[in-house]
Amino acid sequence: MTSTQTRERRTAAVRTDDGAVLHATIDGSDDAPVTLVLAHGWTLSQASWDDPVGELVPRIAAGELRLVRYDQRGHGRSTWAPGDDDPAAVTIDRLGLDMGCVLDQIAPRGPVVVAGHSMGGMTIMCLAAARPELFGNRVRGTLLVSTSAGELGPPAGTAKEKLARRFAPGLVAVAVGGARVIEGLRKLTPPGSRQHQKIVRGLLYGADATDEMVREGAEIMHATTVRAFAVFYPALGDHDKRTELAALARVPVEILVGTSDKLTPVQHSRKLAESLPDAVLHVEPRTGHMLLQERPQLVVDALGRLLTAAADRVAA
Amino acid sequence: MTSTLENRPDTDGAVRTVRVAIIGTGFAGLGMAIALRRRGEDDVVLLERADDVGGTWRDNHYPGAACDVQSNLYSFSFAPNPDWPRSYSEQPEIQAYLLATADRYGIREKCVFGAEVTGARWDDAARQWVVSTTAGEFRATVLVSAAGALADPTYPDIPGLDSFAGTVMHSARWDADHDLTGERVAVIGTGASAIQIVPAIQPQVDSIAVYQRTPPWIVPRTDHPVKPWMQRLYRWLPGFQKLVRAFLYVVREFLVVGMAKRRRFLQPVGRLAKAHLTRQVRDPKLRAALTPDYTIGCKRILISNDYYPAVSAPNAELVTAGIAEIRPHSIVTRDGLERPTDTLVLATGFHVTDLPIAERITGREGRTLAEVWADGMVSNRSTTVAGFPNLFLLVGPNVGVGHTSMVYMIESQIAYVDDALQTMAAEGLAVLETTPEAQRAYRELIAAKSKNTVWLAGGCASWYLDSHGHNTTLWPDFTFRFRRMTRRLDRENYVGTPAAERTPEVAA
Repeated sequence: MTSTQTRERRTAAVRTDDGAVLHATIDGSDDAPVTLVLAHGWTLSQASWDDPVGELVPRIAAGELRLVRYDQRGHGRSTWAPGDDDPAAVTIDRLGLDMGCVLDQIAPRGPVVVAGHSMGGMTIMCLAAARPELFGNRVRGTLLVSTSAGELGPPAGTAKEKLARRFAPGLVAVAVGGARVIEGLRKLTPPGSRQHQKIVRGLLYGADATDEMVREGAEIMHATTVRAFAVFYPALGDHDKRTELAALARVPVEILVGTSDKLTPVQHSRKLAESLPDAVLHVEPRTGHMLLQERPQLVVDALGRLLTAAADRVAA
Repeated sequence: MTSTLENRPDTDGAVRTVRVAIIGTGFAGLGMAIALRRRGEDDVVLLERADDVGGTWRDNHYPGAACDVQSNLYSFSFAPNPDWPRSYSEQPEIQAYLLATADRYGIREKCVFGAEVTGARWDDAARQWVVSTTAGEFRATVLVSAAGALADPTYPDIPGLDSFAGTVMHSARWDADHDLTGERVAVIGTGASAIQIVPAIQPQVDSIAVYQRTPPWIVPRTDHPVKPWMQRLYRWLPGFQKLVRAFLYVVREFLVVGMAKRRRFLQPVGRLAKAHLTRQVRDPKLRAALTPDYTIGCKRILISNDYYPAVSAPNAELVTAGIAEIRPHSIVTRDGLERPTDTLVLATGFHVTDLPIAERITGREGRTLAEVWADGMVSNRSTTVAGFPNLFLLVGPNVGVGHTSMVYMIESQIAYVDDALQTMAAEGLAVLETTPEAQRAYRELIAAKSKNTVWLAGGCASWYLDSHGHNTTLWPDFTFRFRRMTRRLDRENYVGTPAAERTPEVAA
């Protein structure tokens, strides 16, 4: 064995079947016994996983783990597909298929653990619905962080819901069409500004978040385009996989959520846990939507349990 | 008197004697030969190590190679080209221009190809330069070194580089037959060559890792195709093309104010570059890694519209950790990451402050130019060196420019050398040599002019400065001042020995 301290890194462009190109970073040896694939949330990028990933470095260096991070389409360095010119065509289901492409091209063999934060968690649910055969022998564990199986929009039938249904497409069109103008306005309150951080903290973080965390998160979100924000907003409202979680039930699932989560409040995770009776639910006090940053150790511990279980099944 | 030189190296080993021998056939060598031919001086030979003319623009044919100065300015003043297809030309067009210009003035027949100069020694008794080449020996009264500053590639000193099992290519020694499609490519360096190579190959490779030590400042490239009606206008009204050339020259010369006089005038350029980066790179970490921490202009300002998008592409990675070692199939950085690599592109520049030709030229006292320059390159007017009679250097010390056309500086030097040769002929001189005093004065002038420039005070290390931190490569003032200084030979700074002085001795 050569010097044990080095670990392999590869950058890969994953072309999806509909022509988007996804930016993926692969750490660790191809010979590692298990691959972990991470999916990030809405208006974020793979960098949102940096804090927990830092804790995984020794396992990667020791050859126990191969790590795949990627940017969802339209986020980070990943492109849109030609067909995404029609904002209405973009769905969370499509993100599930994208994750399938990542698995097919980057982890075509061997056991896999998948983890998703927020929209990334929904991505996993969509993958399970679209390609259930993957779950069991290939995907052997799932971590869902600050996410939801559906009903993120106002309840169906209410006046609010009707209003949203009626005006959302127009608003998205305006946002996409006027993206340049909105981008310009966004520059007026850069992520470093007090005002910007105050809004971000109030919406996304719990009581214990440091200013540094908030700033880092704000910067990642600020890098996301107005288009990604606008196009995925209605897609998130349309996401509903409450009755299609059967494939997920076949593998160990852990669910993490913070009590101060305003975007995907605790009851969404509770409902998920009810649909997946074998899943382990952990509700963390004083924690917001950005649990990956706020409680990285919690995430690492959960991943550790899932990875060990996945590897044990290989040995068995 | 005309010589009867052949283009091909002869095999009989006979020494050929000429009046002027020129080393190199780039812009400088060709320009010098053309100037001599135009006034009827035909006893000239050009010694070229490659098999065709072109120099730097022949050798640097990597994908994306292009000039950072508009072609209307980056061309010989006496040979305007109305047919430039783009405002900023790419390498093939510039090389074609050099070939066409060489043919137009009949320079190719004066060239000996495959003649790499292995040594040039001043023979004080014969008052001649004895030039040994891989194509035989030459004797010349006057030796003009037009070997250039961007001629010999530098290779980085990285542990394990020799052990690399894949393909290694220097940007200036590109192997066009090597197909990069689907390969994992590493590019070391982020200078002028790298930022042209990276966007040219990024769409084709599997993945590309750019290893960066210091980020360059990059401003938008205002390149555009030249409209056919514009080309016709240039053809019908050569004066109009001259006017455009003059306009470009003046605009670019304003940069000197910021770089060499008052650095705050560079602030708008810095803001332009920063806005360019902000517009093209969204990722905050990547943007931070690409943001230089030194004053713009300290290193060469680069121009590109596609470098930033290329390093932000889905298959690209900018690596800033510093290379610890190279292994047969990978590169290991100091943070312990090992990236599998198929092909290694070294965009690591050239020997500029330690010109290799200087090791091969031996002067009157038996010392090489490199030995004389051990403490830094010195010269009179960037062209002559005490102890090296009848030797003229084109693109030598302190003649480089980062902001405008090198051809302007070359033409200034050519006029100076030509005037020196005419002075020798007019005065009947066999030997012309500059004085150490003139050299000292010129060195002090350069030092004084360099003192407050952005290159010395901008907070960066660059290839402009030698190992002692002195500016020995750049002309630190307006280029028209250099032209004024080199319009005529400064006869007072030279000692001439008349040809007749020897005659009595020979007769005795």
